[in-house]
Amino acid sequence: MKTDRIIVLCILFFAAIYWFGIGQIREPLIGDPIGPRAIPKLLTIGLVISALLLWVETVSKKRSKESASEPEASSAQESGSRPVVIAAIVGGTLVYFFLFNWLGYALATATYLFVLMSLFNPAKTTANGLTALGFSLGSYLAFTRFFGAQLPAGLLPF
Amino acid sequence: METLGHIISGFGVALEPINLWYTFLGVLIGTIVGILPGIGPSASIALLIPITYGMAPASGLIMMAGVYYGTKYGGSTTAILIRTPGEASSVMTSIDGYEMARNGRAGAALAIAAIGSFIAGTLGVIALTMFAVPLASTALKFGPAEYFCLMFFALTAVASLSGKSPAKGLFATILGLVIASVGIDLQSGQQRFTFGIPEFQDGIGFIVVVVGMFALAEVFRGLEKIHSGTADQALRITGKLWITREDWRRARGAIWRGSFLGFLIGILPGAGGTIASLLSYATEKRLSKHPEEFGKGAIEGVAGPEAANNSDTAGAMVPLLTLGVPGGGATAVMMGAFIMHGIQPGPLLFQTRPDLVWGLIDSMYIGNVMLLILNLPLIGLFVRLLYIPSGILYPLIIAISVLGTFAVNGSMVELYLVLFFGVLGYVFDKIEIPIAPMVLSLVLAGIMEQSFRQALTISDGNPVVFLSSGISVTLVLMSVISLALPFAIPKLKQWKAQESD
Repeated sequence: MKTDRIIVLCILFFAAIYWFGIGQIREPLIGDPIGPRAIPKLLTIGLVISALLLWVETVSKKRSKESASEPEASSAQESGSRPVVIAAIVGGTLVYFFLFNWLGYALATATYLFVLMSLFNPAKTTANGLTALGFSLGSYLAFTRFFGAQLPAGLLPF
Repeated sequence: METLGHIISGFGVALEPINLWYTFLGVLIGTIVGILPGIGPSASIALLIPITYGMAPASGLIMMAGVYYGTKYGGSTTAILIRTPGEASSVMTSIDGYEMARNGRAGAALAIAAIGSFIAGTLGVIALTMFAVPLASTALKFGPAEYFCLMFFALTAVASLSGKSPAKGLFATILGLVIASVGIDLQSGQQRFTFGIPEFQDGIGFIVVVVGMFALAEVFRGLEKIHSGTADQALRITGKLWITREDWRRARGAIWRGSFLGFLIGILPGAGGTIASLLSYATEKRLSKHPEEFGKGAIEGVAGPEAANNSDTAGAMVPLLTLGVPGGGATAVMMGAFIMHGIQPGPLLFQTRPDLVWGLIDSMYIGNVMLLILNLPLIGLFVRLLYIPSGILYPLIIAISVLGTFAVNGSMVELYLVLFFGVLGYVFDKIEIPIAPMVLSLVLAGIMEQSFRQALTISDGNPVVFLSSGISVTLVLMSVISLALPFAIPKLKQWKAQESD
């Protein structure tokens, strides 16, 4: 319930930023009858309506829970979330992206995969290492040689 | 007669060796994806789109359709052996299927799931073949205003039916349209919300959003599960991999009813395979002479829902192919794949590319036969996939997502966007905002805005054009009803309860 109230505020904040962005769109001197700003303006109204409807839903849910005298629990608590783990994976993925061009696709991917596998499939170092290296080199060679894709070679000579 | 000729020549396309190979590859990948818990059909189709760029459109689309209906077969295996649906619509199968497996009848449960899926899948494709042309002919009468109203109805239906909260469904729908508004406006040539980033001028790529929201978000949830120690353990296949005469007697009615129900629900926007299998389960329990056996291993509880979620896929192809309007997340990704291959699904497709559309439909007959073989005698091989450590599997899915995204445009900005949408998808799951309406509106946004502007240009800016024909008035009314109902029904129930008090 508390989460839903925060979502309402976030939607309204996002709608305000989006509205500000509409002001930056140039209107052409000639063109179609409605112009490039019309649809975004309608969408902003839609965002505000969805926030208001969510607010109404939250209030009516709260009332029905109060009448049933149930304790309030946030969605995050119910699902037992572990944001720290996800934050660490996202951080690691960002480091992987930073090294992507310098190390090259194959080396950066192999390192990233090995670290991630070691964390989530511990005590299987050989299997993790072989899978990480095999996938990275195999996919690099397949995509650059057979599919003609441009993947950064980085420190690799080929 | 002309249609019959197209159907026959469609078989010519579907039976070409290269297309037979891609049908096989598609249903094989579909079965694997269905068996592996975590990654669903939407994510796997999205990951395959970049790989299909170099293929002939018919081959690429045949393969992706194979993945779509193949996942439904595979999903039941996971549901039966580890009580976790391999993909969402197998959720009802996990109730009685898992109980059958615990009672030493895993083989019979897997066999009836495969047989039911095959019968329903084939019946669904027959119905698709019969309904496609009449519906496409009707849709040819649609002008821009009617098209806009049709897409508006699809969006409102999906928004109000997805998830527990219609308001969140509406927000997700609008957010998809907001994302689609980034880039150069094709009518006026003006930049919208590009923030000076050159990569944004072409808009935010469909693949970027879908891979992030479906694949990466799914991986985050999976890794979180491993960390919390709640990953599932698989049961071994026990019992003979076939059904008894008594099993067939009990299951056949459920299969017919599930096939009919699933196809009808598949046509409706927003409902989807999960609702189809849920309704089928409820129907079978109500009709059964032994309702007390449901939840304890009733074979009808496996046969009905499995039939329903398989014929649903053929039903979902009806609006996609004939109207160009997908009804859910996976068909929205399919439509994105069509567009990326330069093909606009819709009624004109039956006139301009009959070879492609009938080749695709006819490949589904062949694909269903392949799936029966893969999921009955060879199921023992696929079950081994359940023993691959998730700690290896999930990191590989991230690497495939990165590779698939980067290989298309070689853009680092797109990689950061994939990660952003992955986190957004994970957060949306936590706060119960449905993703399917967002992807649907993202894929329809371009055509919707075009129809909206064309209609207004034709009418000199008069909005009454959207109420100028019987079709558009009906569609607008249906949209209003589908938006209002989820809010009105609880109020009505509350009012009735107060009345009875």
